[in-house]
Amino acid sequence: MEALYKNFFRKKDNANPVLKALEEIPIFENLLKKELRKIVQLTHERKYKSNEYVFKKHAPAEGMYVILDGKIEIRDPKSRNIFANLNSGDFFGELALLDEKPRSASAVCSEPSRLIGFFRTDLLTLIKRYPELGNKILLNLSRVLGERLRETNKNIIELN
Amino acid sequence: MDPLQKIYRILLLIIISFVGWITIPFFSPLILILIFSFLLTSIFLQSVDYIEGYLKSRVIGVITVLGTSITVSILFIGSFFTSFGIQIKTFSNKIQKDNFTVAVENLSSKITSLLPEFFNNLIPESDKIILMTKNFMVNIFQNVLALLGSAGNFVFIIFMVLIFTIILLIEYHDFKRSLVRFIPNKYLEIGLRTIYNIEQQISKYLRGQILAASSVAILSIIGLFILNKIGANITLVIFIGIIAGLANLIPMVGPFIGMIPAILIALMNNIGNESALTHYIFNVIPSPFFIFDIILMFIIVQQIDNNFITPLVIGESVGLHPMVVMIVLIIGGTLIGPLGMLFAIPAAGVLKVLLREIIFISKNSHLL
Repeated sequence: MEALYKNFFRKKDNANPVLKALEEIPIFENLLKKELRKIVQLTHERKYKSNEYVFKKHAPAEGMYVILDGKIEIRDPKSRNIFANLNSGDFFGELALLDEKPRSASAVCSEPSRLIGFFRTDLLTLIKRYPELGNKILLNLSRVLGERLRETNKNIIELN
Repeated sequence: MDPLQKIYRILLLIIISFVGWITIPFFSPLILILIFSFLLTSIFLQSVDYIEGYLKSRVIGVITVLGTSITVSILFIGSFFTSFGIQIKTFSNKIQKDNFTVAVENLSSKITSLLPEFFNNLIPESDKIILMTKNFMVNIFQNVLALLGSAGNFVFIIFMVLIFTIILLIEYHDFKRSLVRFIPNKYLEIGLRTIYNIEQQISKYLRGQILAASSVAILSIIGLFILNKIGANITLVIFIGIIAGLANLIPMVGPFIGMIPAILIALMNNIGNESALTHYIFNVIPSPFFIFDIILMFIIVQQIDNNFITPLVIGESVGLHPMVVMIVLIIGGTLIGPLGMLFAIPAAGVLKVLLREIIFISKNSHLL
């Protein structure tokens, strides 16, 4: 009976890794399950090989990525300086959701990876189709950027 | 790339193009249905997205938008045919009467006396004019019958366009997402940007055209009302205005098509009317049956549209040079006739976006 219940009545959301990953991202914080499902419908799941570029420095930026599986290195292609090593559940490139400036660093897969792409065009579609949800995401995005700015200011003060 | 691989790719491209060229006639109705469905989807997508945002249901959004549009179209076409039928009936009654023959004879002799002798040979005899008018009426009825004969096929195409539009409107965002799956990782972001720019280009152009057509329709209706105030006796004013607005969708040629129904109806209504025959514009230029008044009015409407409305609503949406617009229209018209002229500008706009992105990719391939 329990198996029957599980098969027919249990919500399958928990089994959806994309939904689970998005839930953990601050930009999609405090969203209802049904709102997250709408976002999942707009995102793009992509598979990358090891050493494959997700994007290169100075390339036109269109959106952000969330790592489902794998590892991503954010680095400067010239100096080879590594700015960050990102793992499953991490996200990067979110600034591109707001402006059209080129990428400031390159993102390379250190191992075969599965990413979720959420792009500016998707955000614009979302704002048009579900304005309330679009506003929530923009507010979350501003909060994330605000926190980062505060953190940077703190670091500058500490350095001085 | 390996030279052999390059040759193989070129050969494959040639074979695909050849097969495409041969099979296109068989698929052309389907392609036409898809193009119309896509254009209708582009027109209604914004409204459906907007309604979906409030009603929280895409299906209801599609039903609301398409239902309203279909009802308005049916009401318009229905009342147009009813009114046009009455107009034709009145005119046929008019030409059955004896005074019509007298009127045509009067008109013929009047024009002959007004024009220099050289032109007199070019004006047909009054008997010929009557015969021509009667033949014209018979032709109209024959054409209507022929139209009804092909109505079955037409209804089928309309029905298919409607079905495809409904599906596209409901599933549009999912279709787009499926399409994106085929883009290689390297071109993902640039591909998304291209799709978005093409969507914007088409929807901006279509919305601009609809706005421009609506304003031409409204201005024409106002103009025709003014002409009626000075005694032009033009009926079906609102329909003529709407037809002029719709004809305006075909650049360059459309405005001329728009004035034809107005001139025809002015002729139908005023034939036999002495004061209409001897009418002068500003008491200077002879304008029998208000024909030149109508042409002047449409020229003024066109000027207002070209200089104020179109730059404002369409403006830089397509951003093509007027010379390019003319060339593109000629190509479209030569390839598929009036429909080609209708689609030529948005198609050129899409090509422009694609070309811009291809140039960008070729210049910045190191960034991808």
